[in-house]
Amino acid sequence: MILFDRVTYRYPGVEAPILQDVSLAIREGEFVLVVGASGAGKSTLLRCLNGLVPHFYGGTLQGTVRVAGRDPVQAGPAAMSRLVGFVFQNPEAQFVVDTVEAELAFAMENHGLPQAAMRKRIEEVLDQLGIAHLRERRISTLSGGEKQRVAIAAVLTLQPQVLVLDEPTSQLDPQAAEEVLTALQKLNADLGLTVILSEHRLERVIQYADRLIYLPGAGRAPLQGAPQEVLEQIDLVPPLVQLGKALGWRPLPLTIKEARRLAEGLSLQAPPLPAAPPPVGEVEIAIEDLWYAYDGRPALRGVNLEIHRGECVALMGRNGSGKTTLLKHLVGLLQPGRGRVVVRGMDTRRVDMEALIRLVGYVPQNPDALLFADRVRDELAFTRANHGIADASRDEALLELLGLAAYADDYPRDLSVGERQRVALASVLVARPEIILLDEPTRGADYLQKRALARYLAAEREQGHTVILSTHDVELAAALADRVVILGDGQVVVDGPTREVMTHSLVFSTQVGRLFRDSRFLTVDDVLKGLV
Amino acid sequence: MRHPLAWFLWTVAAATTALILRNPLYLTLLLLAVWANYAAVEQSTAQAKSWRALLRVGALIWALTIPFNALMLHQGEITLFRLPSHWPLIGGKVTLEAVAVGFASGYSLWALLGVFAVFNLAVDASQLLRYTPKFLEQAGVIIAIALTFIPQMIVSLQEIREAQRIRGHRFRRWRDQLPLVMPLLTTALERAIQLAESMEARGFGAEGGDRQGRPMWAQWLIAPGLGLLLSGLVLRALAPAPAYRFIALLLAGAGLIAYAFGRLGHRARRSRYRRSAWRPQDTLGACVSGLVLSGVIALRWVRGGSLGYYPFAPGALLPPFEPGIGLLIALLSLPGLILLIAEIRASGAPSGGAV
Repeated sequence: MILFDRVTYRYPGVEAPILQDVSLAIREGEFVLVVGASGAGKSTLLRCLNGLVPHFYGGTLQGTVRVAGRDPVQAGPAAMSRLVGFVFQNPEAQFVVDTVEAELAFAMENHGLPQAAMRKRIEEVLDQLGIAHLRERRISTLSGGEKQRVAIAAVLTLQPQVLVLDEPTSQLDPQAAEEVLTALQKLNADLGLTVILSEHRLERVIQYADRLIYLPGAGRAPLQGAPQEVLEQIDLVPPLVQLGKALGWRPLPLTIKEARRLAEGLSLQAPPLPAAPPPVGEVEIAIEDLWYAYDGRPALRGVNLEIHRGECVALMGRNGSGKTTLLKHLVGLLQPGRGRVVVRGMDTRRVDMEALIRLVGYVPQNPDALLFADRVRDELAFTRANHGIADASRDEALLELLGLAAYADDYPRDLSVGERQRVALASVLVARPEIILLDEPTRGADYLQKRALARYLAAEREQGHTVILSTHDVELAAALADRVVILGDGQVVVDGPTREVMTHSLVFSTQVGRLFRDSRFLTVDDVLKGLV
Repeated sequence: MRHPLAWFLWTVAAATTALILRNPLYLTLLLLAVWANYAAVEQSTAQAKSWRALLRVGALIWALTIPFNALMLHQGEITLFRLPSHWPLIGGKVTLEAVAVGFASGYSLWALLGVFAVFNLAVDASQLLRYTPKFLEQAGVIIAIALTFIPQMIVSLQEIREAQRIRGHRFRRWRDQLPLVMPLLTTALERAIQLAESMEARGFGAEGGDRQGRPMWAQWLIAPGLGLLLSGLVLRALAPAPAYRFIALLLAGAGLIAYAFGRLGHRARRSRYRRSAWRPQDTLGACVSGLVLSGVIALRWVRGGSLGYYPFAPGALLPPFEPGIGLLIALLSLPGLILLIAEIRASGAPSGGAV
């Protein structure tokens, strides 16, 4: 179905090729997962399949690409759209019109399909993706998972033979990601559609894949084969596989079910966890009966929380549950509709934001809102100048810690999503805030980058700094947070020590936590330490 | 009334009325009619919020036109007070008639803004897109995208402003706007590129897979067409030429462009999905809009003075009012009233339950 023969591609103006001598073959009906570190060329490889590379991006492509016998380089993306459906990372950026049904019709109208055929195909894809009830909805009113399913449906109306998805779940909460991936698995299994998908969070998707393609980057040849075979040879692996490798389990487990069978004979011993000690340190943040509404639509409904100095708290919950709204209250970007927020003795309604930001650093979800300078190091200098900090000696160390030293003189907007996120983080943290608020800090980050971030934040906490992160990343929360607060519909649903909350949750738990169902074993390290 | 073409006709009728009217009494009636429609179509969407904000800005501009006219126009009999005559521009008497003119002209602009707010809230741009002529299809898509970009950019602006403030940046002077403007422009550009990429990947511009289908000569024809149009406009602006000369140039230019687009559109193989159903209430709305439009234009042609307002004539401060004209303008409220009645009926109907 798909053939790459010695494909080499260079972006315009860049000397080093992003893909070098890539050869691979994908059979019809396969579910293929493309993995690799940020910037390894995953998106580029996917864009070669429909001719967006090189047609849309320019540059030079050598070698041969064939998709169902056609050459995407010669045909171009518009002509290839009937063979290859392409779904992008951010569903919102790909919608042309505002209603679901009109969006589904868009591609077919472009190809001049008769009205009767369009109606039939729209009915089919609505049913296939379970979104018939959304038919007349405005896209702006849909949830993240619904939007992504509409984006998939919008390309399926052309009945392509191959469906390509570039990190389709990176912006979704676990439940929404599950909805999307289940839909993809059904399309692959029931219709025989070839699915090619890139993803960082392998734990979400690895069980569906027939084959894995790993791009090591830096012009090296990709690894490809059965998932276990490839995972054996690489470092970017989900926690369950990491555990399997450490314990010598073979074949490597891809699902909790497989791991449970392998873990049956495992002898673990760890002292019972002491009752959670009461938080020490002064109350850093006190939230009392906090209510907030956007144009009459409630976002927070009577939230009460106390966060102590030096604590690390993970805010979790579905998209739209109120996490970001709560964080914005802590830095004074929003004022309570009712109730109050007190940050180190300062009532946020009564102090200037300038006083709060001397103490609180907030890294928003969208790093692009921050970045405007010509170089990464200039972004840091801009924040320092705003805070009146002349000493630049810490900049290099901070960039080094966050894995950005090599990009210090690069234009921030040219970096990958994960890298931009870390530049935004560095741009805020350079002011040395004592309270750090992070909104989805691991979006687009690979496992190694996540571990580096966790190490950095742990060091900040050891210095007595308070860290509050809003995240869907249960592994990060388990590795870092003392406490998990789960929000639902603007209210605190659960608030407790991380181990306790995660052990009793079906959704907000780590892979290892779900495997052992024991609050002493949440991470791979916990298990390795508990081995008898 | 639901059909986009019916709303389009209503907008043409209401906007023409707003542009022609200066009589504050008739304008008040028009504003009430527009408000009835606005109340019927307003939703709790981000777009509705943007329009509410824009209407508030419109009200502010209206409020500013009153003192502006009062200070700049020094005609009229009823003097309110005097400013020293040596003050440049604003020096002299300030009259009630000048205040009345300011009131009426700002009122008309505000009504016009209200008409466009109703149109944008009542009609989905993508629905209207289905009715653009085939040769303008691509231009129509571009306009639809541009319209959806505006609310997105407002959201981005807010996000960027917040993000820079929490980095300690203060927006005090115009130079301080750079950290706001640069990311906004870059974000807009990146979003446009992403959307273009997505559209290309879904066959936009595919023309049935035949990229060579567009005749080159037809594309070249657009250039002389634009040249003729421009020449007509320049002639009109600079030279005291007889009217028929520049009209002939404009017509020739427009004709050439229309023909070129027609030939280009002839080759386009785009099809159209479902169109909105035309209901009896749409017929009623369209008829009323047509009646008002033709009535207002006829009145302007035959008795222009009856719609205007010139308070400087002796005894003309109080505008005239004819019930027939008032009724004609009030008819524009009908689409909104139909929607409101339908909504009241729907909310009063028993919900669910077995029959």
